[in-house]
Amino acid sequence: MRSADSDLIARWRAEPAPLLGLLHAFHERDGHLSDEALHAVAEGLRMSLADLYGTVEFYHHFSREAGGRDAPRVCGGPICKTRGSDALLAELDGASPMPCAGRCDEPIPVLCGGEVLVGTPGGGLRAAPTPLPPPNPDGLEECCFARVREAGRATLAGYGGSYRALARARELGGEALLSELDASGLVGRGGAGFSTARKWRAVREAAGGPKTIVCNADEGEPGCFKDRVLLDHDPHAVLEGMAVAAEVTGATRGFVYLRYEYPHTQAVLERAIEEARGELGEFELNVRRGAGAYICGEETSLLNSLEGAHPFPRNRPPFPVTHGFEGTPTAVNNVETLASVPPIVERGADWYAGLGLGKERGTKIISLSGDVRRPGNYEVPIGFSLTRLLFDWAGGPGDGRGLQAITMAGLSGGFLGPGDFDATLDEPCLKARGSFLGAGGVMVFDDRRDMVDVARQAMAFFADESCGKCFPCRIGTQRLTERLAGVAGPTQAEAWKAEVGAIGDTMSQLSACGLGIAAPLITESLLRLFPERVDEALARR
Amino acid sequence: MTGTTPTGAASNRLTLDGETVAFEEGESLFELARRHGDAVSSLCFDDRLEPLGACRLCAVEVEGQARPVASCTTLAHAGMVVRTRTADLERHRRILTDLIVSENPTGAAIDSLRGSASQELAQLAGRYEADGRRFGGARSGASRADDANPMILRDYDHCISCYRCVRICSEQQGDDAISVGGRGFRTRITTEFDGLLADSACTFCGQCVQTCPTGALADRRALEHAETPGELAATRSICPYCGVGCSLDILTKGERIVGVRPAPDGPANEGALCVKGQFAWEWVQHPDRLTNPLVRKDGELVEASWDEALDRAAEGFREVAAAHGREAVYAVASGRAPHESAYTIQKLVRVCFQTNQIDNCSRS
Repeated sequence: MRSADSDLIARWRAEPAPLLGLLHAFHERDGHLSDEALHAVAEGLRMSLADLYGTVEFYHHFSREAGGRDAPRVCGGPICKTRGSDALLAELDGASPMPCAGRCDEPIPVLCGGEVLVGTPGGGLRAAPTPLPPPNPDGLEECCFARVREAGRATLAGYGGSYRALARARELGGEALLSELDASGLVGRGGAGFSTARKWRAVREAAGGPKTIVCNADEGEPGCFKDRVLLDHDPHAVLEGMAVAAEVTGATRGFVYLRYEYPHTQAVLERAIEEARGELGEFELNVRRGAGAYICGEETSLLNSLEGAHPFPRNRPPFPVTHGFEGTPTAVNNVETLASVPPIVERGADWYAGLGLGKERGTKIISLSGDVRRPGNYEVPIGFSLTRLLFDWAGGPGDGRGLQAITMAGLSGGFLGPGDFDATLDEPCLKARGSFLGAGGVMVFDDRRDMVDVARQAMAFFADESCGKCFPCRIGTQRLTERLAGVAGPTQAEAWKAEVGAIGDTMSQLSACGLGIAAPLITESLLRLFPERVDEALARR
Repeated sequence: MTGTTPTGAASNRLTLDGETVAFEEGESLFELARRHGDAVSSLCFDDRLEPLGACRLCAVEVEGQARPVASCTTLAHAGMVVRTRTADLERHRRILTDLIVSENPTGAAIDSLRGSASQELAQLAGRYEADGRRFGGARSGASRADDANPMILRDYDHCISCYRCVRICSEQQGDDAISVGGRGFRTRITTEFDGLLADSACTFCGQCVQTCPTGALADRRALEHAETPGELAATRSICPYCGVGCSLDILTKGERIVGVRPAPDGPANEGALCVKGQFAWEWVQHPDRLTNPLVRKDGELVEASWDEALDRAAEGFREVAAAHGREAVYAVASGRAPHESAYTIQKLVRVCFQTNQIDNCSRS
């Protein structure tokens, strides 16, 4: 082994969760992951070379060809497609497409090695900071975004100089804090909607250790870009949320699992962690960068990825709260959930709960993109009017256009049509419409868009991102994509609809994780809302 | 269950398809259903492996759960109400089987010589009358015609990505020679750098072959006899190669050995073999094998009668013993000889030569 390789391995072998960091170190140093690098990593971390090879291949962004790491990757997400990402892709030498890179409110993002540039076809590429959320149009009180627009907020000084919520959490003690959190109604904002207080209590009461807090910043859902704005502009809120979680649960180590497509954010976080050392005490915090895999947003897949294992989701139970990172009790929380914690601790449960409308408690960030005049991240009271968001806040569609459909939960909630625009943004209402709020990504398609093709793109995304573990998802997403594309399956409308419905039904019932359960909502809602568009598409074939 | 208190009885009972049944601590719903005689289907289950919950065919309904759960990864708990055969489940299993067969429409024509479990998909397809016409589309997996090793055929056109091969290689054999490459529909079974098995950590134990439920991995030596006429028969024996004592079944057609299979119920091996026990049997009927005794005359080996050969051997042993004592004789039995021969040679050495200098090549 070369001595430079041994040095890298020695540095990383001493770290927790070393594999991803070590692979990135080789990837950056060499511009790709060579055979020699994989041999050195397998030997250095005492892994099976075959396993390592398969795991490396699982991720989008680890390149095995010389120069591959720095070759441009152009976002091919649903919104960027409507903005001409295919044309931009054709303009850039050696470029390849990547799934939605979480910048749907900007020009098309292009990942070039260690930085993300943005651009449009014919317009060149430029660096651009993460856009701040627009000012709240109705002046409604916010939680996560209340101070995010303040200049210098990303520094500890700008954050207020110290972690005051953490200090208050230490005064209150774990039990009192859990009661407060429970009363606030805070639930997981990554989409699962599980009570944060219950999760933390389970970790607190679980036997064994060391306990771990994981911030899920693998924001891979197409149309979602809320976590990036929080991490880039208010990183200390997230880190303080993690520190409060550690205080309550007794965790001594923490990881921010950050998606590969946010390289700038890694630097922001590492700087913030460095600044916060004095605040964090015994709580050891590290950033680990993913390597491009949607499924790693699923918490058990994320934990496997963090451990250096093949990132298949795990079977549950046992749940991460008892058997998480390296088999120890672990709380995995979304960025937005964690960023909500310090204001709740400081201002109280009643304040936070009162931000919601009607019976709903708290707020939710909606990443709104596509065919509206003012895309961006909006923090809305839970229970807020969808129409008000789409038309009053975001300005509705462009001149002379009508809105045809929106997606919910990024792509995972399927489509809603104009008949659903009277809905409110809360789970009970959206569930009744056959969808869910999830991580809060809403992509808007006006009446120019071919919804069958949008559905095809969505299903192709799910097929490409299916991990390959469970049969209904692995085969089902492929078969549905083929049928939406018209390359296989019945051509007669009734037979087509019956077959697509049958595959989707079995996928949603038998799939092992949320990907395969949610993916058929695309076809189910397409058939429900746009049967005539399907008929037209089939007639054209 | 006798001998349990009423409280104990309640704490280990659940309702399975309307019947109250007792379960054992740590038993999965899959194992429980099988023990009660009504096994649910599976393609990714192997008793020796950690359950993976991948194929989802074994999904059952548990009251209070929003969706069916994989019975192989769900442990039995007191008071559960479990249904394994509802119309909904059977409909989903039929659709799932159709989806699986759509990837592998020639599954029914797999020769059983490919491996012990090679008929599992074909049987499932038969049960649900899946012929591959429904849900047609792209097929996954690409056979590795370039891997010309003489033992394991890598016919991945038939692969359904159940990962039993990868799991047995890791969990049972500890070789970790193969892994899962790619994602989703493009997953494939691979060695490091997509190489050949001979260049990998593979020890050719053949366990992957024997657990493969579609015959995508196949015993190449046995497959050479696919066209050999005769009824396939299996004779239980013990592997002669070493002292572990692995149970195996010798497959024959007529008078010909056509393959070897590990015995899943072998107490020493529980379905495992090594490369020798699994693949090294062809010498039994090899044309180079001696069929007559040979004796050396004027420096040349020439065919002789058994009487002449045995006389010559006895004479030689007597001369050696007379000149150097009985301790001068040492016998090594061949691991390739039948057990009966091994027994006879030790008897010969101990009784006739009066020495205990007898060993076996598998040990020495």
